[in-house]
Amino acid sequence: MSINQPANPGVDGRLGPDEPVKYKGPGPATGLDSPLRKAVYKLRRDRWGMLGLAIVIVYALIALGVVLGLWGQDWSSTAGPRWAGISAEHWLGTNLIGQDIFNRALYSTRTAFEIGLVVAILSTLLGALLGALSGFYAGTWIDEIILWKKGVLDAIPFYLFVAAVAFALEGNAWAMHIAMIATFWTITARLVRGEVIKLKNLEFVEAATAIGASRMVTLFRHILPNTLHILLVQGTIVFVSAIKSEVILSFLGLGVQEGTSWGLMISESTQEVLSGQFMNFIVASTMMFILVMAFNLFSDSLQDALDPKKVH
Amino acid sequence: MNRPLLEVDNLVIEFETDRGTIRAVDGISFCVGASETLGLVGESGCGKSVTALALLGLIPSPPGRVAAGSIRLDGRELTGLSEARMRKVRGKDIAMIFQEPMSALNPVFTIASQMTRVIRRHQGLSRRQARAAAVEMLALTGIAAPLRLIDDYPHQLSGGMRQRVMIAMAMSCEPKLLIADEPTTALDVTTQAQVLEQILALQSSFNTAVILITHDLGVVAETCSRALVMYCGRLAEEGTVESLFAHPRHPYTAGLLESIPALQASRNRHLPTIAGAVPDLAELPPGCLFADRCPSARSLCREEHPRLITSGRDGRVACHFPVQSREAYRAALVQWES
Repeated sequence: MSINQPANPGVDGRLGPDEPVKYKGPGPATGLDSPLRKAVYKLRRDRWGMLGLAIVIVYALIALGVVLGLWGQDWSSTAGPRWAGISAEHWLGTNLIGQDIFNRALYSTRTAFEIGLVVAILSTLLGALLGALSGFYAGTWIDEIILWKKGVLDAIPFYLFVAAVAFALEGNAWAMHIAMIATFWTITARLVRGEVIKLKNLEFVEAATAIGASRMVTLFRHILPNTLHILLVQGTIVFVSAIKSEVILSFLGLGVQEGTSWGLMISESTQEVLSGQFMNFIVASTMMFILVMAFNLFSDSLQDALDPKKVH
Repeated sequence: MNRPLLEVDNLVIEFETDRGTIRAVDGISFCVGASETLGLVGESGCGKSVTALALLGLIPSPPGRVAAGSIRLDGRELTGLSEARMRKVRGKDIAMIFQEPMSALNPVFTIASQMTRVIRRHQGLSRRQARAAAVEMLALTGIAAPLRLIDDYPHQLSGGMRQRVMIAMAMSCEPKLLIADEPTTALDVTTQAQVLEQILALQSSFNTAVILITHDLGVVAETCSRALVMYCGRLAEEGTVESLFAHPRHPYTAGLLESIPALQASRNRHLPTIAGAVPDLAELPPGCLFADRCPSARSLCREEHPRLITSGRDGRVACHFPVQSREAYRAALVQWES
């Protein structure tokens, strides 16, 4: 505290009478006005969210590199020695049959992203469509049918359902995707249905009808865009759930049929840990843990950023 | 004025409720001439808004339905029109401005995208043309810098601005009839006057007929040429604004006029009100629905429902014993109260 300290500090202790608040006036739009820009601005100020996003981007680049054939191509080669330690040739060692764990972990990133993206996008679209219809026609037979389907799917234990689908499709590589999409849409649909029921009674919907919009135009062009924040957040949540479920399903032998995945690596490691070989297990779990963690951080801050009531 | 633009004949609108069928609008008839301004006055729940929605075919069904009557626009019957045909009428032939400018615009789209959508749907213009038309329309509603505002979102505008945008949107397809459902109720008084002025200015330049729904008699006096007074879903009185205000014939109209606070009222004079409450629509009494609140009601009023009779030059009133003058009503009121 010096003599120069203003005699009368402001409420927050920083603003004194010597430095009056500068009134910037209404002026031209500052770029903070549109809801989307506001959300991006809020997202960028959230450090943990940005850290999560950065990690997710790194993973996405790894997956993209695998797709483009830049790395991770030798995942199935059994040329290496069995259970080799960390070396310049095999950065993270090799597994039971001499496959390079580093390459397998990279390739598995691609598998995880493929499953996450396919399931997140399709189940969110399905959930949005059915949820919107069921909310818009709440109380009618359309709503009844969708709710009934939702109830049935929610009542079947998830792993039992996947097993049944996998069995019915007999080793089809997409069995797991189909099973996940068929079960994950229900949560999205429930959220969208509630929001649509709330929105459809607002005056702008009546105004849209009064100006000549048909029912479907009203629903999909006027009401549904107002649920975008729910869909975005729900999409990221489904993405994480799909990756986690893949690992568990692959571990159980119900998951990935072609290629490899973290789940398959962990499944392999059950034959190794008793012999004191932990590399497969540690690498796959760590890769998955970091991605899921990062995605959850991002998803949380996305939720906050898209919530106009939360100002921080 | 050869043939009126809009002819509503014996319109009956019913709603199914838990307590049976309710007649929200019971046999009202009126017409609106081209480029005329008609006021529709009455208290909350008297059927004003339901009538307006019926004109657009927007009665929520179920539970509501147009049970009888006809609505003709330019001689074309609108009741019983298919949903697809009605959609072409909405916005293009009949447009509507809503009461709540705060919630009548979609919060997630810019003004430009909402306006161009309407213009393109009904007029088939290109994106660029529609945008130019939107800017022009906004300028016509008295918005100073439409180019600065057109890419804004609704939440960035004030209530008056939003109502202007609503007006611009409603007028953008040059409808023959504009229904304004309490367009100024949610606005402050200065903005109210400006918005009303804009509606009238646009009306004269586009030759649009306007139905102005309000419970504000001041607004009617300022803007309308003719007015309908509704009570409990029925027409109480119809007449030119001058005759309605100078010589109300229905005791309800007279009561409404008496209960407007006067600027130079003496301090001791209490504000006359209309005693009692609106009857329950599910259990309507026989006879005149206003009888229980009417200072000049006689036994006939409780037995027989009054029919509309012509009064004056081109007015109509539904009363067995129409008010002779405002002084006479005042005298009757004093006598009735004591």
